[in-house]
Amino acid sequence: MTDSIRAQNVTVRYGAFTALREVSLELPKGVITGVIGPNGAGKTTLLNALSGFTAVHSGTIHLEDRDITDLPAYRRARLGVIRGFQTVRLLERESVLDNVLLGTERLPQPGDISQLLALRAQWRWKKSAREEAREVLQLLGLSSESERIVDSLPFASRRLVEVARVLVSAPPLVLLDEPAAGLDQRGRLELATALARVHQQSGFTLAVVEHDIDFVTKLCTNVIAMDSGKFIMAGTPEEVFADPRVQTSYFGRSTHAQA
Amino acid sequence: MGSSPLGQLLLGGLTSGLLYALLLLGFLIVFQVSKTVNFAYGHVGMVGAFSAWLAWSSWALPLPIAIAFGVLLAVIVNSAIGIIVITKIPPDRPGLDLIVTLGIFLFLTAAMQLLIDAKAHAFPSLGGGSRVVIGGIVVNANDIAIIVLSLVVIGGVHLLFSRTTVGMALRASAESPAIAESAGVNVRMLRLGVWMVAGVIAAVVAVLVASRLSVDAFYMTPVLIKAFVAGMIGGMDRFFAPLAVAVGIGIYEALAIYFLGASAGTPAVFLLIIIALAVIPKRFTAARHEVRA
Amino acid sequence: MSSSAQSLSSAIRISDRGLRWRHLPAIFVAVALALVPLLFFGDYWMFVAAKLLAFGIAAMGLQILYGRAGQMSLAQGSFMGVGAYTGYILSSNGVSPGLQLLAVIAIAGVVALIVGLPTLRLSPLRLAIVTLAFGELFNWLLINTSQFTGGTQGAPVKPFVVLGLDTSYPLDAYLLTLAFAVVLTLLALNLAGTQSGRRMAAIRDTEMAAISVGVFLPKTKLIAFVLSAVFGGIGGWLYSGVTGFIAPPDFDLFASVFLLAAVVIGGSRTVIGAWLGAAFIVLLPEGFNLIGQPNLYALAGGALLAITALLLTDGLYGALARLTGMARTVLSRKGSIR
Repeated sequence: MTDSIRAQNVTVRYGAFTALREVSLELPKGVITGVIGPNGAGKTTLLNALSGFTAVHSGTIHLEDRDITDLPAYRRARLGVIRGFQTVRLLERESVLDNVLLGTERLPQPGDISQLLALRAQWRWKKSAREEAREVLQLLGLSSESERIVDSLPFASRRLVEVARVLVSAPPLVLLDEPAAGLDQRGRLELATALARVHQQSGFTLAVVEHDIDFVTKLCTNVIAMDSGKFIMAGTPEEVFADPRVQTSYFGRSTHAQA
Repeated sequence: MGSSPLGQLLLGGLTSGLLYALLLLGFLIVFQVSKTVNFAYGHVGMVGAFSAWLAWSSWALPLPIAIAFGVLLAVIVNSAIGIIVITKIPPDRPGLDLIVTLGIFLFLTAAMQLLIDAKAHAFPSLGGGSRVVIGGIVVNANDIAIIVLSLVVIGGVHLLFSRTTVGMALRASAESPAIAESAGVNVRMLRLGVWMVAGVIAAVVAVLVASRLSVDAFYMTPVLIKAFVAGMIGGMDRFFAPLAVAVGIGIYEALAIYFLGASAGTPAVFLLIIIALAVIPKRFTAARHEVRA
Repeated sequence: MSSSAQSLSSAIRISDRGLRWRHLPAIFVAVALALVPLLFFGDYWMFVAAKLLAFGIAAMGLQILYGRAGQMSLAQGSFMGVGAYTGYILSSNGVSPGLQLLAVIAIAGVVALIVGLPTLRLSPLRLAIVTLAFGELFNWLLINTSQFTGGTQGAPVKPFVVLGLDTSYPLDAYLLTLAFAVVLTLLALNLAGTQSGRRMAAIRDTEMAAISVGVFLPKTKLIAFVLSAVFGGIGGWLYSGVTGFIAPPDFDLFASVFLLAAVVIGGSRTVIGAWLGAAFIVLLPEGFNLIGQPNLYALAGGALLAITALLLTDGLYGALARLTGMARTVLSRKGSIR
């Protein structure tokens, strides 16, 4: 299952500061799109606007043909727009498995009464949900850690747990905000490989905000460049990174290259 | 008795409301500068008033000295709470201050009951029996004391915050302690100072309330609750709005009693808070979930 | 947290795995504790044990609302009162205990909806005040409708006679409350393994993550509220049957504060913590009575609440888990397992 998402003339303001200026772009269906730009370009704001965590001042957002501009964030999530955060947000005192299971929210499951009273439907669902969770954990290389409490995990593993939570319900649209930040070279490679593998299996639409050129080039077939709240261009990684506008905004203005 | 029962009751409501406002003021300055909720604040005042009563009745100290003694104790207790909170509660544990001060609330109730007793006692009325009749309403010394004191204290605190260097330092410490610290402000000392001033305010309010009713180990609890309610409705980060709401609650309470009978005061106020929060504009509710870069 | 303390607390935190061999120690301890009153206690202490079980049920309810879902409530004592007085009013009209129980559950649930709905978007302090306001309102209602409730004088409660057990006998009272306690504890433990339970934990730890996967927060908060109120109501109802006499001060602000103290002191993160806390608030006054200083109880309770909150994040449960974790490490080193 996969969906495309489209922003049209979206403007987002925080008080007097305009974070997104009339941004129109599309995350094509089934494609892994990288979103690049210098700090303050509005990349996270874009994710927030698409996922419903920030209200738009003007413009529309469409999920396939459906106008979701006025839908609250949790409704968009139930429709399949699942996002990760720049600063990982986990249930700190729960296990890896329980954290991933939180992500099963949008899957059809027994009602609250069945769950609370531990009726038969709940037993069956619990088994199948745990299997799904274990599958995702295996894909991300976390199987051995499934019972560990997340607050004792190293940083890289915590990021992967959040990615697992995002992916466990097989959503049609996934938005990840700098999932590789803070990972070393090997960690980045492993993450890119894992994401590519999962994408190959399910073919969902994936958008990844990232700074690392290698990571983006390896993983993404489509790249969107932004700067100062505006959409600059979209294209293949080679096209985008070679474009003079991107070069100036990304490399020329920042004091050190984001390698 | 004067010839205008409604007017009399409104005066009573006004003075009650001013007392709620004054207590709220003490609570707010600590909340805004120290970012702390002190659930035991009413009891800090109670410690002051109850000790003052003990000093006056058992040790036969003259009333002003007894009250000064009570105020001193209240300042010490509130400062102690302030030190515990300032040094032991890290800012990343929200709600912890409420729990800890809840424990202190219990502790102080029990402590005062053990040290003194569990009964209610009449507190001497301030200014004796002197009274004056204005427009059919009996105004006694206690009422005048409340009106004058509250206006002076509220006005004084406002001037302090808005016109003096100390006030500026306080506002800076409230908004951004790190920046204030690097600008040379001794944030910790300032905060402690605010807790001490709040202790004085609590004791003064407690004595005034006691002289209208009586004093025991629990009597300040409803006063504090009504002050809280006013703060929540008017805005915990404002100044005049919550104080005005507090006065309003006093008058509302008096009206409820006038029209519905003596036992209607309590439910009227508590119904108010429940209804007010159900209809409340978004501004007063918890922050929207926004993710910033 | 060291890995050995972690593995122990995973064992004690009976997880969604259902029964496993590693749960055996905990089950053994629970059964042993349950047998102690039956084997060793006379009438008075059996009665205390029954009271403890009733409070434990109410404490579990508050643990769900505060410890799991992170919602501060100063009304759990009042919900105990809702259960107690509902039972009393119905039994005065000849209603059987079984129907009383159904009514207690229904009414506690409805009241929770009424109190809970306006509170769904409130910060902890505001929620605490609203629940406190409800408590004061409820207390006022009990006192001012004395024709139904007996007012400040209190009301004698007819003992329940259920399946041959008559709560006027301490032994029967104990067995009845034990049965309820076992069932409700299992339900509370089950919560951890349900999506419902995870949603509540997300409210406490990270609302954003919950929203991002599609959780509708207000509904989850409401469910936690209702669940906690039902536990409280059942606990209060059982309390009324065990003690045979109820009065408004049993369910006032201080009762609610003591229940919160129990949950915090015992350890708010786990169901076992709620039981440790309930044991604490029921046994502590007995202890002080024995040494002839009954009034020190509230003093100690308040001080311990503040101290535990400041120093022992996971309360008694956390302290015990760390101790047994350390013991395990020591033992495993001695036996050179690794």
